[in-house]
Amino acid sequence: MSTWAEEREPLDSGWGHKQLRHLRLWRRFFAQAVVRETHYRAHFLTTLLVGLVQLGLGIVPTLLLFGFTQEVHGWSRAEVIALVGVFQIVTGLMATFVAPNLNRMTTYLTEGELDVVLLRPVSSQFYLTLRWINVAELTNVASGIAVLAIGLVQSRLTPGPVQVVQAVVLAACGLVLLTAVWSAMSFLAFWLQSVNPIGFVFLSLVEAGRYPLVFFPVAVRTFLTFAFPVAFATTFPVRALAGDLGWRTVGVGVALTLVALTLVRLLWRRGLLTYSSASS
Amino acid sequence: MNAIRRNLRVVRRMTAADIAQQSVYRGAWIIFMLANICTPIISLLIWRTALANGAKLPVDERYVTTYFVLLGFVTMATSSWLAGFLAQDIRLGKLSSWMVRPASLLVKFVANNLSEKFLKLFALVPMIGIVWWIFRASMNLPSGVGRWALFAVSIGLGAVLVFTIDILIASLAFWMDDVTALVQARVIIASVLSGAVVPLALMPAWSRGFVDHQPFRYTVSFPVEIVAGQLSGHELLAGLGIQLGYVVVFAALARVVWSAGLRAYSAVGA
Repeated sequence: MSTWAEEREPLDSGWGHKQLRHLRLWRRFFAQAVVRETHYRAHFLTTLLVGLVQLGLGIVPTLLLFGFTQEVHGWSRAEVIALVGVFQIVTGLMATFVAPNLNRMTTYLTEGELDVVLLRPVSSQFYLTLRWINVAELTNVASGIAVLAIGLVQSRLTPGPVQVVQAVVLAACGLVLLTAVWSAMSFLAFWLQSVNPIGFVFLSLVEAGRYPLVFFPVAVRTFLTFAFPVAFATTFPVRALAGDLGWRTVGVGVALTLVALTLVRLLWRRGLLTYSSASS
Repeated sequence: MNAIRRNLRVVRRMTAADIAQQSVYRGAWIIFMLANICTPIISLLIWRTALANGAKLPVDERYVTTYFVLLGFVTMATSSWLAGFLAQDIRLGKLSSWMVRPASLLVKFVANNLSEKFLKLFALVPMIGIVWWIFRASMNLPSGVGRWALFAVSIGLGAVLVFTIDILIASLAFWMDDVTALVQARVIIASVLSGAVVPLALMPAWSRGFVDHQPFRYTVSFPVEIVAGQLSGHELLAGLGIQLGYVVVFAALARVVWSAGLRAYSAVGA
């Protein structure tokens, strides 16, 4: 057993250690969130039920649409259902890990809670973006996986390991990109004071991800690929699973993700400079 | 008669006060209304693509376009958000301080509803105007003033209908500890059955009889149909009649449940 009297590694020794420390910390956050969830079993159940109902209702327009036609721009009903599954997985992950934090951004800034965060020996951006975890929302990820499986079986797609890797990487890029966009929108709180309704705009724009990119006019497609990159979260992974995409798109996705992360980092730094504590 | 006049005066004063207070959040209203028109626009683009791709819909492009352009406006105009707040006022005993005042707590919610809608208009109407202008070539526009007047009347009735349904649900807080699940269920069910997600005209044939006559159609879909659809004079009259019927039934129900609740109310914190 180690005691405080012993020689210990200093807190910040190099880049790798810092990342490891954040990872360990995040594991603690997660463990705490799981324990917390066991205290609120009713919350778990209602989240599960509401999630299932919303998933069902979200598929209604798709089912109605394909009641009138066999395929739209090369997409069959089964493929669109697989896409809804991917959408559910990505938005479920965001609701679990990101949404509980970004929804607090206004209080962080207006109530001066950010002061306490800045004093801690962790990256403040890490803390503000990933501190709170809503474990119950993971049920939506599970139902998303089920819907994806149903869609894949119905469409008789049998993706190989390469396609699966491509799809997972693209979906991960989509997840990070959307998080970056939402973060950027929330960080505007530094300049606008109240950004609570921003979450509503984000969530209603994300709804576009329920449909394949080609369902939209060309101008909107560009917007949904580069400005509000929901295409990486749903359309591209499913097309990768179908074997229609090469590594080039994956490369573009990764590059775009890196650019977005850098931009958000810069925006955060810039915002911190304008921050004048609300409590002191 | 005197009581009605007094209540109207209270509503007018409180609405004015609320508007003054809420106009602090001008930016927030713009952002809210932006979110409000996102979903109709996405749906509009999807269904137009389906039509252009040769889908055999029971309605034409003009109907779909007009429907979704007007949808954001009508959902805003007929919306109500009081259930959660009213239930909270009942549960936490805030109602007590209103029971000794010369006006009902419900008057506060009427004033809040009116004032927020008034402010939202300024943010929403220009946005709808832009969408309208983009799609102006394929919109259904009734020429006569009559249809627009009916549209306005029907929106008013729809707004009252949603408001009374919300009072009814919130009143259950007199007996239940937590009505959030009920409120959420109402929102989810209404979003589909009111036609706010998919036009009711696109619902499958087997659901027709039910879909056309359930109350939620008269909260959103019916007012839009007056402008977008080709409802005959007979259908218009019948629709307005049914809408008025629902308003009267739900208002009576809400009144009964509300006053029963007031008698059952045991104040918290009094």
